[in-house]
Amino acid sequence: MTSSAPFRRFAFAFGATFAVLYVIALAKDLALFTVFPSLGIVLAGTHHSRDVADPAMGFLAPAMYWYGWAATAALGALMVGLAAASLPGRSAQSVWSGWVWLIPALSMIACVYLTLPWFRL
Amino acid sequence: MVAVALLGAITHQTLAAWGSAGARPGSFFGRFRSIPSASFANAVVVLYAISTLLGGTLYLYFRVDVRPELEHAGHWHALGFFDLKEHFAAIGLALLPAYWVCWRRPLASEPVQTRTALTSILAFIIWWGFLTGHVANNIMGFGS
Repeated sequence: MTSSAPFRRFAFAFGATFAVLYVIALAKDLALFTVFPSLGIVLAGTHHSRDVADPAMGFLAPAMYWYGWAATAALGALMVGLAAASLPGRSAQSVWSGWVWLIPALSMIACVYLTLPWFRL
Repeated sequence: MVAVALLGAITHQTLAAWGSAGARPGSFFGRFRSIPSASFANAVVVLYAISTLLGGTLYLYFRVDVRPELEHAGHWHALGFFDLKEHFAAIGLALLPAYWVCWRRPLASEPVQTRTALTSILAFIIWWGFLTGHVANNIMGFGS
């Protein structure tokens, strides 16, 4: 059980941090990489179709950011998770375990808010 | 098949987690609770990971071939629901380690509400993904 304590801290910190960072990546369009599936290429960073093709031809090179947003959030959450795992056990005991579900739940609501423009079209 | 197995496992576990501990042994919730809910945790983690991997692969095809047709037909609400599905799926994937720890390595001092809430969030995400995926798939007869 002793060896599982750092993993517990990692898991809780990773889940909550990922949710926050994913919303930030989504809101600020911070994709670690952009996938252009029709062209079969992946570019580092956030690139819009208009950056790689004429705006009128943008439909020929649809860009996908979801993988990049998830990678951005995962990278940040991994660092926070590893930092949490290395903390002494006593410091983590004062943290309310409910954050691990409350923060993702709030992040999901934030995702709904950021997706509202689709429903106004 | 993977999605249906995942739906079954998470739904069973969620109902068991929400069911009253004092449920009669022969009642609906009593029968749910008679099966150790923790035994579903490994299956849910593996099935969720496989589903996300398969979904992430199919998403490439969706973006190139299906989404432009939905945009052309003005199915903006369906696209919004699908966007939510991908956001929720990513958040759910990151919750799997915490979910697994809560079920397989529970602490005596940890409130049971934590794992119940985590399980409920995952159940919501899985059901949302299943229903939204079917709507997006069937709305214009794709895949038929």
